Amino acid sequence: MEREEIKNRIKKVIAKVLEIDESEISDNANFSFDLGASSFQSIRLVAAFQEEFNIEMDEEKSLEVQTVSEAVDFISTYIT
Amino acid sequence: MSIRTEIHKQNIVKIFNPKSIAVVGTNNVKGTVPYDILFNILKTEFTGIVFPVSPGEKSICSVKAYKYVVDINDAVDLAIIVFPNTVCHMALEQCGQKGIKGVVIISAGFKEVGEKGLEREKQLKQIAEKYDMSIIGPNCLGIINTDPNINLNASFARKMTEQGSIGFLSQSGALCTAVLDYALAKHIGFSKFISFGNKVDISEIDLIYYLMEDDKTKVILLYLEEVTDGRALMKAARDVTSLSGKPVLLLKAGRTEAGASAAASHTGSLAGNDEIYDAAFKQAGIIRCDNIEEMFNIAIAFAYQPAPRSNKVAIITNAGGPGVLTTDAAIHDGLQLAKFSEETTREFRKCLPANANIKNPVDVVGDAHADRYNIALNGAFREDDVDAVFVILTPQSMTDIETIAKEVVKVSKQYLKPVYASFMGEADVAAGVDILLRNKIPHYILPESMCRSFSRVYRFYRDIDINPHPQRIYTDVDTKTVHSILNEAIKNNHLYLPEDEAVSILKIYGFPVVSSKLATSPDEAALVALNIGFPVVMKIMSDDIIHKSDAKGVVLNINSVEEARNTYSAIIEQVLQIMPEARIKGMQVSEMILSGEEVILGIKRDPSFGPIVMFGLGGVYVEVFKDISLRVAPIDEIIADSMIKQIRSYKILQGIRGKAPRDIAAIRECLIRLSQLALDCPQIKELDINPLIVLEETKGCYVTDARILLNTSTVQ
Repeated sequence: MEREEIKNRIKKVIAKVLEIDESEISDNANFSFDLGASSFQSIRLVAAFQEEFNIEMDEEKSLEVQTVSEAVDFISTYIT
Repeated sequence: MSIRTEIHKQNIVKIFNPKSIAVVGTNNVKGTVPYDILFNILKTEFTGIVFPVSPGEKSICSVKAYKYVVDINDAVDLAIIVFPNTVCHMALEQCGQKGIKGVVIISAGFKEVGEKGLEREKQLKQIAEKYDMSIIGPNCLGIINTDPNINLNASFARKMTEQGSIGFLSQSGALCTAVLDYALAKHIGFSKFISFGNKVDISEIDLIYYLMEDDKTKVILLYLEEVTDGRALMKAARDVTSLSGKPVLLLKAGRTEAGASAAASHTGSLAGNDEIYDAAFKQAGIIRCDNIEEMFNIAIAFAYQPAPRSNKVAIITNAGGPGVLTTDAAIHDGLQLAKFSEETTREFRKCLPANANIKNPVDVVGDAHADRYNIALNGAFREDDVDAVFVILTPQSMTDIETIAKEVVKVSKQYLKPVYASFMGEADVAAGVDILLRNKIPHYILPESMCRSFSRVYRFYRDIDINPHPQRIYTDVDTKTVHSILNEAIKNNHLYLPEDEAVSILKIYGFPVVSSKLATSPDEAALVALNIGFPVVMKIMSDDIIHKSDAKGVVLNINSVEEARNTYSAIIEQVLQIMPEARIKGMQVSEMILSGEEVILGIKRDPSFGPIVMFGLGGVYVEVFKDISLRVAPIDEIIADSMIKQIRSYKILQGIRGKAPRDIAAIRECLIRLSQLALDCPQIKELDINPLIVLEETKGCYVTDARILLNTSTVQ
């Protein structure tokens, strides 16, 4: 899967979970600091990414991921 | 004053008196810390402006929200950061860019969770220093300022506290919520309520100084789990007391914490962590409390009532038994029952029933109504010899509790003397107690607590010391030689300083040391003994033997040349039976001091408070009796004197059963010299002078044995 496609799907998931407009999500946006994700929403994001890409991520490491671009890198390691 | 301290001093004022606040990282999820903090600020009607900063929200609690703190156009005095710990540094960086100088970081997950959290905390500190900001927290409950001109509850406590004059500082956030709940039930009000958490930047010391200058605060309460800088804490408390007259009450968690597992000296073993805390706090004028209840019992006494002129009290009771109990407790706590004048007694005889006790304690009898309390209260307050009034009540069927409570309030307002109350019981007296507490009459369920609290207040004002004592420095000391002896021993990997060198150091520091000489053969021992003059003491000299008595290496009262020769051989034989591997240098032959009293002097180095000086009853049973006193160095003559008088065996030194008093002045001088040695030489980890033999008054004292444990990581 192309990196660009992963990024677009990630942004869609973020927009849905955080209930924000996809256009507000920049590549370097931090889930908490820029997009306002609470701790609970961060956990929901991890679950939504797993469902979207049909993967099972390391829970502890996945919660260390803080930005959209970090999420793209991290999820890519499970897909490729 | 350091630059950071100066910066904190300016910024703390803004933190507690902000005109505008940004709550950074808040959200719309009710029942969470980020939401509750904002909600509490709004609910308590903060007098300034509030800016919610929440990237995901347009508004929170009907207030427009900003995505970033830098988006706010107006000036912001205080930022409350409630973001997850992973992004607090980003929020703090923006606060710095925005020019915000005061920050409270509520978020947890820093030093308290380990290495990663510690790194995050260091990052916060760096950012704060870069922008000259000051941080309270992280990992805290928040702050409260009850000043009606501010009305700030920037915390996630359930309720706003009542306004009052107690400033409360706590390292634990969770304890804060419990204290707030306790205080609300008892109508105890606060001026400032501060949870300072991990104290990454602003410490309890900065906050103590802030409360010292805060005119809304009369009493400072401090809850600590760790003392990071004991000396700074002592100085702050002393400054508060001497400059403002405000008392500092402290509850320190961890009394039972085990000290150093295997102490190497008597001083090390006797001066445990908690004993050092106790001594240091006392020395600094800090009132140490055993629990929250005691802390508030004393705090309300300070906060509600004027300072007593003396410890003379009048007790007014409607029950004989409780009157006696109160009298017992008062005497036990060092108080005195005031004596009533003939005029007061005449008045009581005229106005109280015939079966009333008209002397102190005044018993107005079980069926008393408010009128009898009125007579007794007025009489007691007017009496010259009375400096405080204790009101006791037990709830009989005819006792009009609320009316009596109102009477106590009404009458006491007419006088400037303190009044304390104990309405004994719980359910029946509750309404009366409520009246007392709402009207700032300190109330205690038990008269014993009342007496103890008053006693602590009385002693605080009695002992308040605004004049610094001049510190005597002995200039006749060759510190250079002492340092070189100690450094050399450390370089040679000695854990203990050889005894002859320890004695040399004490000699250089002006301690009187008995004449002695090392002998390396039975014949030499006999000759040395002859030269010193009989009787003599013989002691084994070996770097491998620390406790000589345990190794049977000491013999006293040797009276002849022959005995000296034989004793030399006998000691070596006995020691080698117990410690066959011991390397023996020979025997120290010393003058034997007759008819002296044995005391112990010592030094211990504490990580928080630095060098500690110890004094106690000496000899081989020192650790059995544990009759010691401790002080943080430096000590002056007054402190040295108090150390000597503090031990239970002081009476022995004063002379009992026909024995002449001992030379206290000589001990005092030794203690001051020891304090100077402790401060001069960080290479000394622990030191024992055991015993110091004290002769009769004016005849001096002698060091007969000394042991120095080295601080092997220190070379001066």
